[in-house]
Parts: sequence; C-alpha cells; structure tokens
Amino acid sequence: MNEVCKGIRKEILRIAKESGHGHIPTCFSIVESLYAVYESIRHDPRRPLWEDRDIFILSKGHGALAHYCVLAHHGYFPGQGLVSFGSFGSTFGCHADRFKVAGIEASTGSLGHGIGLAVGMALALKIRRSDRRVVTLIGDGEANEGSVWESTLVASHLKLNNLAIIYDDNQSHGRGLQIRNAADKFRAFDCYVTETEGHDVNALKEALSKRAGQVHVIVAHTCKGFGCSTLIKGQYEWHRKSPNDEEYKTLTRELDEAAV
Amino acid sequence: MRRQFRDTIMDLASRDPDIVMIFGDVSVYLFNDFKEKYPDRFYNLGICENTMISVGAGLSAQGIFPFVHTIAPFITERSYEQIKLDMCYNRFGGNIVSCGASFDYAWDGATHHAYTDLAILRLLPEMEVLQPGSRKELDVLIRSQYRNGKATYFRLSDHPHAIDIPVAFGKGVVIEDRRSDVTVMTAGPILENVHAACRGLNVNLVYFHTIKPIDRDLIRRYQDTQIVVIQDAFGLQAAICEVPNVKTVSYGVSDRFHCCYGTLQDVRRTLGLDVDSIRAYLKQLVS
Repeated sequence: MNEVCKGIRKEILRIAKESGHGHIPTCFSIVESLYAVYESIRHDPRRPLWEDRDIFILSKGHGALAHYCVLAHHGYFPGQGLVSFGSFGSTFGCHADRFKVAGIEASTGSLGHGIGLAVGMALALKIRRSDRRVVTLIGDGEANEGSVWESTLVASHLKLNNLAIIYDDNQSHGRGLQIRNAADKFRAFDCYVTETEGHDVNALKEALSKRAGQVHVIVAHTCKGFGCSTLIKGQYEWHRKSPNDEEYKTLTRELDEAAV
Repeated sequence: MRRQFRDTIMDLASRDPDIVMIFGDVSVYLFNDFKEKYPDRFYNLGICENTMISVGAGLSAQGIFPFVHTIAPFITERSYEQIKLDMCYNRFGGNIVSCGASFDYAWDGATHHAYTDLAILRLLPEMEVLQPGSRKELDVLIRSQYRNGKATYFRLSDHPHAIDIPVAFGKGVVIEDRRSDVTVMTAGPILENVHAACRGLNVNLVYFHTIKPIDRDLIRRYQDTQIVVIQDAFGLQAAICEVPNVKTVSYGVSDRFHCCYGTLQDVRRTLGLDVDSIRAYLKQLVS
C-alpha cells in the first residue's frame, strides 16, 4: 500500500471514530484514486478557484471523508477541523457542500448527478476552447442509475475528450443490480477504456496521464474496505458505522500490518 | 410563443456569446438559423431530460447562460431532482424553457398534460417560476431574467392571450378594478377566457405572469375581498396563499387525470374553463 494512502486511511479512521460517522469501506476503496487525481490534475491548493485549474467532481458523494482527507493532505485546508465531520455547524458534512469546503467543485450526494454536471462542465470548456479538463469519480453501485448511462452517452456524442470518468469497481453493485463487464459496456458507449488496479497509485496516474481522443473511462478495480480485513469481511455492518475504541484498535492494527 | 422564443434568443445571442441552447429534440427546426449561425452554441441532446438539466447546470458552472428546452412534463416532473440539486442547491442556475403548457397537447392524452410544473418548481429555494401568457410577456421576461444566475423556469404555450398589458418581472397586473368585493386572480394564457368571462361583471381582475416571486404587495391590496383563483395549472393559488390572512377559493384544474383527447378547448370545457362556464360561475358568485 502506498505510504501516503495508508496515512490518509488512518486519518479517515481517526475522524470516523471521533465524529461518530462512517462510510469507511467506500472511502477506503477510493483513496488511491483520489490521491492519484490530485497528483495528476492541474490545480493549486492556495488558489482553489484558479481559473486555469482542472476540475474534479466526486460523483459518489458518500466518499466525502476520503475526499476531505486527500484535499487536506494537498494543503487545501488544515486537517484538524475534520473531527467535526457530520456535526451540526460543521464545515465538513457527510456529503460535501461546495460553498463550505475549498476544493469541492460540486455538492453531491444523490447518486448519478455529479457525472452529468461533469459532462456540462467539460462541454463548457470545449466551447471556450480551453485546455482544462474534467475528471469525475463514480461508483459501480451508482452506475445502477440510468442518469450515469445517459450522461456517458451524451459525453460520447459530444466527443468530450477532455473528460475522464473513474469507475470505482469495488463490487458494491454485487449487492443488488449487477453490472457485469463494465469496461465492455463503456466501450459500447464509444468510450476509450483503461482497466487498472485501483489501489496502485502509479498505475492510476499513468491512466490519468493518457489523452484519449474520446471520453476516457478508467475502470479502477478496487476492494471496498481495502487495507482492513475486518471491513472487507463485514461490508454490510460497516457501511456507515463508526468504530468504538476496541474496533478502532483492531482496524488501526490491520492497517499497520498492511505492506507498504 | 415558440417563434417569439426563437426571435428573442436570436436577438440576444447576437450580442451575448455566453448563450448556449440545449434541446431535447423539440423545436429544433425552429432554431435552424441559430444552429447555422452559432454551431458551437447549439446542442440537440435527444431524449434525456435528466442529463439535459445536469449539462445545463455544468455549463452554468463555467459562466455560460444555458437555455434548456423541451416538453413541459418531461423537463420538470422527470428532471425535478436535477433541477433541485444541480441547478438550485449548487446554484448553477440556468434557463428552463418548456413547451406544451397545461393541456396544449390535449390530443396526446394525460402523459403529455402539464399542470403540476408551476406548483412543484415554486417549492425549490431561489427558483424563479414564470408563466408568460403572451409573446410580449415572454420577450420582456427572458430579456430581464436570463442572466440572473438562478434556475429560472419559462413556461411557453402555443395558445397565448392577445391582451396587451405592462410587463415587469415579479409584478402582477390589475386588469380591472371595479372596487368589487370579489377579485378574480389568474395567470398565463387562460387570461384570454377569464378576461372575456369577466366582461361587464362586478369583479376585479388581477393577473400574474410571475408565479415566484409572487407579487405580495398586490395581493395584500385585495386581501379583504373574496379572492377567486381561476387556474389551468396548480401553483398560483398556493403562491397567493403565502400572503398571511389571505383566503381563496379555486376554480379550474382539479385533482384527477384528464383522460380525454381532442383540443385544448375540449379539455378546458371539461374543466369549466371555457368562457361561458367561467362566466356562469362568476355570475353565481357575484349574485
């Protein structure tokens, strides 16, 4: 496991324990993707609204805690305030508010919305003949939403080669409506598809560096709860759960034992 | 009214490069000149109302003033959450322009009737809801509001009224003030029938093209009279009742599907919204 990503996971665990709010397994499946995005896109944490910045939208908004931790790591804001996560009056809600947190480009939460916004933003940048690009991260469970496929169809129709869609293939869809062969489905929508190991930062960065001539979908094969066997085995139980003292110790130990 | 929509947009677009049109495969032919003149600002996205709204919001996020246009029930009822979250909550506002108001598509049946759009959209924070009743009202209101940064709904009808009234955003209009203790309030194209029905009767007649924000000051002027809301879509009565201590009765659209076909006039007749039925109702009320 990437050393930085291990540290971010520890932050997620600590904040989840202190705040009483969770979504830890889904956060753990996207840590490397988020970290690779902010290592790849053009951005400046000192100027979150820099007019030449690339845009990232977390369409699976319930991964907000991981997003906050990655933004804090990159210097958008101090990480100390994150312990208020989810509390009344906090800047940091369980789903992010773009008016409250530097670096958040869109307030998401209801699934299947962020990708449509990303398509509109990418189209706007095309109209303006800008070289800025847009990256969005969607979940495989989220891809049960018809709007995901509508948006993908529109993006392909508009030939938005400035749009990258990271598909977090953490097998959440397996609980309900299954999406088999996601890569083939995106290819059928005329997207350029890269399949990659979703916990390999270098592989993700390499994928993000590609400039496809069409919409680029990066199917990131990930594991929900990656890094902690307790989370992997107990995904239903841990979906929104916050760890107690004993569980926190167990999860931290499991993370410590993960190879770097 | 759609031709006026095109004419107003053609005029504005010649001076404003930030206007971008998004179509749901409706009215496309009307905008052929726009497409030829501004190919980078014309997009027919086909039949995908949810994504049309999200794309409009995304365009707005980057400083563009989008107009998203298709048939009323589909762009409002189907896409309600996209309007609520992508445009309103995120404050990526844009212009939503529908056609097929109320029972304009009478012959297509209940799937194409639109009488809840005004009512549901006015519930969304900071949304502006406009029901222009004439070509002039549409022209004035688009010019006035399209760059306001808010989610703004313009509801077009193929059956506009022909009554010339002063138009200003957010302002209701007193068509007749007979110092009566009965005041008829109405909105949109149905004004044509209501106006004709009121002729010679001892009633006041007040008209609204702006459903949200509703003109509260004007309503307060008549709050001590009996207010009769004549409406061919839900929304106006609820907006009027936002003013404290106002009591209304409503006449017109009712709590049922209208499972018939025919023409707009046919459906209006079943709702008692033809001139004779409205007049008979008001006569009984006044007497």
